[in-house]
Amino acid sequence: MTSLAGPVESAPLMGQVVGKSPRQLAWERFRHDRAALAGLLVIVLLVLISIFAGVIGKYLAGHGPNDLFQREMTDEFGLPLGPNSDFWFGADTAGRDLFVRVLYGARTSLLIALAATGIAVFIGVVLGTAAGYFRGVADTIVSRVTDVILALPLLLLAIGIAAACGTTKEGCLNGAIEPGLSLVVFIIALFSWPYIARIVRGNVLSIREKEFIESARSLGAGNVRIMFREVLPNLIAPIIVYSTLLIPSNILFEAALSFLGLGVPQETPSWGRMLSDAAGVFDVAWWLMLFPGLFLVATTLAFNLVGDGLRDALDPRSGR
Amino acid sequence: MRHWRALAIVVVALGLAVGAAACGGDDGGEATPDTTATEPATTGEEPATTEEEPATTEEEPSPEGPQAGGTYRVDWEETFGFTGGFDPVGEYLGEAFGIQSGLLVRTLIGYRHTAGSAGNELIPDLATDLGTISDDGLTYTYTLKDGIKFGPPLSREITSQDVAYAFERIGTESLVAQYGFYYTVIEGMSEFMAGEADTISGITTPDDKTIAFKLTAPTGDFPFRLAMPAAGPAPREVAGCFTEAGAYGRYLISSGPYMFEGSDALDASSCDTLEPIAGFDPNTSMTLVRNPDYDPATDTPEARENFVDRFEFKINSNPDDIFNKIKAGEIEDAVASEPPKVIREYTENEELTPLLHINAGDRTWYITLNLTQPPFDDIHVRKAANLVMDKEGLRRAWGGPTAGEIATHIIPDAMLNETLADYDPYPSEGYAGDVAAAMEEMKLSKYDTDKDGICDAPECKDVLYVTEADRLRQDMQPPTSASFEKIGITLKVRSVEGAYPVIQDVSKNVPASGRPGWGKDYADASTFMVLFDSRSTLPTGNINYSLVGLTPEQAAKVKASGTVEGIPSVDADIDACNVIPVGDERVQCWADLDKKLMEEVVPWIPYLDATATQITGPTVTKWDFDQFSGTIAYAHVAVAQ
Repeated sequence: MTSLAGPVESAPLMGQVVGKSPRQLAWERFRHDRAALAGLLVIVLLVLISIFAGVIGKYLAGHGPNDLFQREMTDEFGLPLGPNSDFWFGADTAGRDLFVRVLYGARTSLLIALAATGIAVFIGVVLGTAAGYFRGVADTIVSRVTDVILALPLLLLAIGIAAACGTTKEGCLNGAIEPGLSLVVFIIALFSWPYIARIVRGNVLSIREKEFIESARSLGAGNVRIMFREVLPNLIAPIIVYSTLLIPSNILFEAALSFLGLGVPQETPSWGRMLSDAAGVFDVAWWLMLFPGLFLVATTLAFNLVGDGLRDALDPRSGR
Repeated sequence: MRHWRALAIVVVALGLAVGAAACGGDDGGEATPDTTATEPATTGEEPATTEEEPATTEEEPSPEGPQAGGTYRVDWEETFGFTGGFDPVGEYLGEAFGIQSGLLVRTLIGYRHTAGSAGNELIPDLATDLGTISDDGLTYTYTLKDGIKFGPPLSREITSQDVAYAFERIGTESLVAQYGFYYTVIEGMSEFMAGEADTISGITTPDDKTIAFKLTAPTGDFPFRLAMPAAGPAPREVAGCFTEAGAYGRYLISSGPYMFEGSDALDASSCDTLEPIAGFDPNTSMTLVRNPDYDPATDTPEARENFVDRFEFKINSNPDDIFNKIKAGEIEDAVASEPPKVIREYTENEELTPLLHINAGDRTWYITLNLTQPPFDDIHVRKAANLVMDKEGLRRAWGGPTAGEIATHIIPDAMLNETLADYDPYPSEGYAGDVAAAMEEMKLSKYDTDKDGICDAPECKDVLYVTEADRLRQDMQPPTSASFEKIGITLKVRSVEGAYPVIQDVSKNVPASGRPGWGKDYADASTFMVLFDSRSTLPTGNINYSLVGLTPEQAAKVKASGTVEGIPSVDADIDACNVIPVGDERVQCWADLDKKLMEEVVPWIPYLDATATQITGPTVTKWDFDQFSGTIAYAHVAVAQ
C-alpha cells in the first residue's frame, strides 16, 4: 500500500515543505527553468568536448589541431577548401582541420574564461569583503580603485596592455609578464574583478549590520572569522550568479583580444582568432566564420541562460 | 629596394647615421601570383620569358593607342610608408623611388622605367651620355644636357653644382642618407661626412655643365649608384633651408616631368617664406601635375612618355575597398598587397586576367639563421634546416606560385642572368623538404648526441624565433614550425609588431627569424652582398642578421654573445667581385659567391624568389612595370579619356 505517502494530512506536508533546505528550494526552481537546463546541457557538452577534444579529434577526424594538410586542403593560391567528408568544417588558411581546431578552441575559451573569472572572483571577493566590512579608508581605496577601473575604456586599454606586453620579445615588466595565455588571463581578470567587488561590498555592508554578526562579535569572534565564517556564506548566492554571468563576457573578451591579434599564441586554437582569420576571406571561405561563430554564440548564450536561471533560483528577490 | 613598414623604418631612420640601412622587404606583395601558367597577357614587344624571369607584362594596347591626358589615380594601402619623408637623400622605399626616378628627380644617368632587363640597364638622363671613365677606373666625368631646368618656383637651369650639392646633402649626417654608404668610395666623402672637410675633394665642377667624380678604388657598379634618387640635383636655395631628416620632402623642387601640385605657389625668396607645398601631405595624399619647365627634348620617350596630366595618390587602409575600386574603374592602380582571393579571381576570370601584371620582383624572401646562436652556430644544423624546410608550404602561405619561384639560393635568378637557375644545394621533391637527407645532415651535428638524426640537445628546444604579427607571417608559421620539428628543433615563436627592429638589434641575439626579405637597390648583385659584409655590421639597425664574418673583437663592439669564434667571412670575396666592371665576369663572380655562401656559410634558408604583382583598372590604356624601382612605371602609363 501506499500508506506512507498516501495519507494526505496537512500538518506533516507543511512540515516537509518547511524542512526543505535553501539548496533544495533553489534546485526546485532551477529545475523548472527549461532555458537554464538547456544552457546547462550545452555547458556540460562543452566541458566534455574540451576535456576530450584530443580523443574526439583523433578518433572522429583523425587529425590533430596543428596537423597541416596544406597540400590537400588549400588550393594553389593558398586559399582554404571547404567542408568534406574528412574535414567536416573545412580547413583554415594554413590547411588545418577546422573541426578539430574548433573543438580545441572550446578548451581554450573555457580555460581562459574560468581561470580569469576565478582570479577576478577571488580578488573581487577579498577586496569587496574587506571594503564593506572595514569601511573607512579601506572602503574608500577599494571603491575609488573600482570606480577608476570601471571608468577606463576597457577594450582600448586591454588592447594597449596586450600590445605592449604581447608583441615585444621580452614581454613587459622585465619579462614578468610574458605574452601568451597567462597574459590574456591577467588582462581579463584585471578588468573583471571590480564588478564582483562592488556587489560583494554592497552585500557585506548590509550583512555586517545584522544581529548575528553582532552576536558573533559579542562572543569574541575576530574580524577574520566573522568575515569568512559569518559574512561570506551569506554571499555565496550572488557570487555564484555573477560569476556565471562573468564567464560568458570573459569568453567574449578573450575572443575580442584574439580577434585583434593580441590574444593567445597563434598555434593555440581560439575561436576569436579563427574569426579574425576569417575576416579577410569570409567571402570565399564562409566556413571559417560560421563554425567558430556558432560555437561562440552557443557558449555565451548557454552561460547566460544558466546564469539567469541561477539568479532566479538562488536569489528570487533580485529582479531581472 | 626597401620597402619596409613603419616601425622598422622609424628605427632605422633614427638609429642609423651610417647607411647600412636595411632593407627589408615590405611584406607587401604577400600574395603575388604566378609567372607561368597563370601568366596574364604578355603583349607588347617583350616576349614572355622563362619561369625564372617572370613575365614582362606590358601595356594593354587600346585600338587607337594610348592618349595623352587624364588623371592616374593610385591608392596606397596603410600609409605612404616613406622612410625619409620623401626627401630623396633619405628615402629608401621602392615605391618612392618609382615616383621620384620616374617623375620628379632626374639623375645624371637613369633608367628606361620599363619591365625586364631593359629596365635594369642604365641610359643617360641629365647627362649627355653614360660618362667617361678614366683608364684607371677611378674618375667618372659627365656633361649635363642643355635646357634642363628645375621646376617652379625656381624655373632655372640645373648646373653641375646642383648635382654636386646633392652629394653634400648625402654627406650631411643630420639628413640621414640611408644608403650613404654607396658614396663613401668617392674621394673625400668620408672626411666630409666626419666633418673634417668643408667640401668633397673627389667631386669637381670645372664649369656649369661638367662634373667629375674621383674614387678611392675601382667600383664597377658606380654608375648605378649615380642613378639613385639621392644623387639627383638639389637646389641649394631651397634644399639648403632644411637640416632635419625628411623635412625637404614637402618642398621637393622637381627636375622631372611632373611636380607637386602647388609648387608654383612656393615663395622661395628666402628660407623663412617657405611653406609646405599643398600637393603633398604625407598623411593623406600626394598630387602631381605637369612641370611647365620640363622640356621633353632633353629626355627620351624610351625613358618617359608622360601621357597623363595628373597623378593622384591617396592613402586607403582597406585593401578590399582598393581592389573593388580598381575593378569598378574608380581608380587605376594601387600600391597594396593583393589578397590571395583577388589574385585567384584575376587569374581564373579570363576577362580580368589581362589586368593582372606579374613581373620579376628582384627580391628574395628568407629565414635568417644567426651564426652565433645555438643550435644554428653549427653549420650542420643550418644545412639540415635548409634541407628539411617545406618551401612549397611557405609559398602557399604567400598565395601560391603567383608569388614567385621557390628560391634555392640568395640572389634572385634574374639578377644573375639565370646563371644559377638550376642550382639547388638542398633539393627536395616538390620543395616539400627532404626529411631523410636532413636527418643525415643532423647526425653530423654535435647537438644530435645520440646520432639518430633528431636534435636532442637542450639547445634545440624552445629556440627563439621572431616574426611579424601579421596575417602572412601567421600563415607561414605552421609549415615553418612543422619543418623544424622534423629534425628535433622546437621553436618558441614571438610574433611582434615590427620584427625588423628586434632582429636588427644584435644584442637581442635572436637565433632565427622568418621576417626578412631583401630587394635589390639596383641591378647588381652587390646590393645583396652588403648583407654579408662584416664591415657593415652595426649594434642596432644591423642588416647582417646572420652576423657573417663577425670577429670576437667586433662581437664585443656590437654586443653579440654566443659562439663568436671561427665565424666564416666573405669580405675578401665581396671586395674581389666589386672591382670587376659590370658585365658577365662580374655576374659570374657574384654567382660563385652566392654558391659559396649557400654551401660553406649557410646564413639563410631562402624560400621565395618573389614576383611583383600589380592589378590595374579597366581605364588603363597603357601600363608598364619599372624594373628599377619594382613598382608602377608612372612615366609610361596612360588612361582612357
